[in-house]
Amino acid sequence: MNELSRTQIRDLMAQVLKNQDKELPADDAAQLREIGFRSLDFSELALRVEDETGEELNFDAPGLRRIATVGDVLDFLVELQHQ
Amino acid sequence: MTVATSRHLTHPEPAGVDNRLVVGGTALTWRSLPTPTLPDPAAVLAHGAVHALTAARQHAVHGTELLLSTASRVDAAMRTELLEAGFTVSVLDDDGAHPSVPAQPRAAEPGRLWLLTSGSTGRPKRVGHTLDTLTTVRADQPDRTWLCPYAPGTYAWWQVVTLSLTQPGQHLVVVEPDELDDWPTVAAAHGVDAASGTPTFWRRTLYRDADALARVPLRQLTLGGEPVDQAILDQLREVFPTARISWIYASSEVGASIVVHDGRAGFPLAWLDRETPGRPTLSVRDDELVVTSPYHGAGLAGPVRTGDRVQVLDGRVLITGRLDSDEINVGGSKVSAGVVRGVLAGHPAVAWARVTGRRAPVLGHMVVAEVVLAPADASEPASAVTDEAALVRWCADRLPEHAVPRRIRVLTDIPVKETLKSDV
Repeated sequence: MNELSRTQIRDLMAQVLKNQDKELPADDAAQLREIGFRSLDFSELALRVEDETGEELNFDAPGLRRIATVGDVLDFLVELQHQ
Repeated sequence: MTVATSRHLTHPEPAGVDNRLVVGGTALTWRSLPTPTLPDPAAVLAHGAVHALTAARQHAVHGTELLLSTASRVDAAMRTELLEAGFTVSVLDDDGAHPSVPAQPRAAEPGRLWLLTSGSTGRPKRVGHTLDTLTTVRADQPDRTWLCPYAPGTYAWWQVVTLSLTQPGQHLVVVEPDELDDWPTVAAAHGVDAASGTPTFWRRTLYRDADALARVPLRQLTLGGEPVDQAILDQLREVFPTARISWIYASSEVGASIVVHDGRAGFPLAWLDRETPGRPTLSVRDDELVVTSPYHGAGLAGPVRTGDRVQVLDGRVLITGRLDSDEINVGGSKVSAGVVRGVLAGHPAVAWARVTGRRAPVLGHMVVAEVVLAPADASEPASAVTDEAALVRWCADRLPEHAVPRRIRVLTDIPVKETLKSDV
């Protein structure tokens, strides 16, 4: 299966923000609220991961969780690829 | 198979019988078409355009029960269904009719015409009409030579065909599917001055060769069969500054119900709930267009829910798309795919757009799009190259945030089906 690394997902996340003239901080602990990364952006990122891998992510699989930092987003999407 | 000439005309020849027909480059008239005897009731699968016209003329003269289609639109299951419904299924080609007879024949219903709805979802349905309910243009028209690009037996095909059959001076130039991409050359050669097609048909024509289109001496352009947006009307206006450009809302269920000539998308709000004898009444219920029409199909009297979604914008009622596919729910906010499509199509570099909802985490769905870019204009600077980010910004400047398509795929050609639609 075609899988993206955490770094590759980070690059895609930077792209999503760059298209809105925003910057992705290097620090994984950066708060999404502070950098202006919202649910629409999160969804876009998930679609970009799907488009890169050619595989559908199973969004229903993992339980609810708190996604507040850049690291949370990356962890979540890495994990989703394993579902 | 012998081709017999009927001796017992049940109707006089239709009024347009001496109108000119050009099929595959050959000039004919309705009167000069062959006159094979058709089974009654018959489901005729026309091999080519001339055979379809032949069947239509035979129906007009003899009033035999007829369902007209093509072999490619009737699959094995539909064939079985038609045989079970008592139709003789008959391929009509240069050698005449080649019938398959039903196990249990039935009496024919005189004057009945059947249409198979194209139905983008599910099985095609049979809708009953007569030549009379399919004839929606009755007032005298200026003499015109019409292009007929439609697939035989569809509602749009019958609209052009009944016009030419019933009105003297309404000539037809019919293009076969394999001539479709080159229709402007055929049309210019035969003096076509009126043409009717879907927005997808017009977009493909502009995209492939706008110069060739400009050489067709069109005085009447008609759009229908799909949602009509302002961008395509404006693009055609640019090529034909003085022609009449109309869009029409019609379906096999409710007939031709809306005709708009003012060059704008949508129709005036004042037309809603207006009752005029002999004219369709238009209303809106729960965002759905409801039509009460004198041109309805059999058994469809009274208000008919069209399944088409409408949205009122700036005093105009826009028909944005099918109810089951136009509304995209993005995290609880409703987005009309048709409205987004209209914005994308309004970008100068976009030749065609399709907008859909795509499954996404957190929000449920996200708006995504596919576009075909207009051929590059040599006079444009290279910096003006349109990419996904530029189109997203264009939409972000004109739409609420949740309606902006975040993923936009660029296709290399405008997709089209036999119905001349592209399921936008």
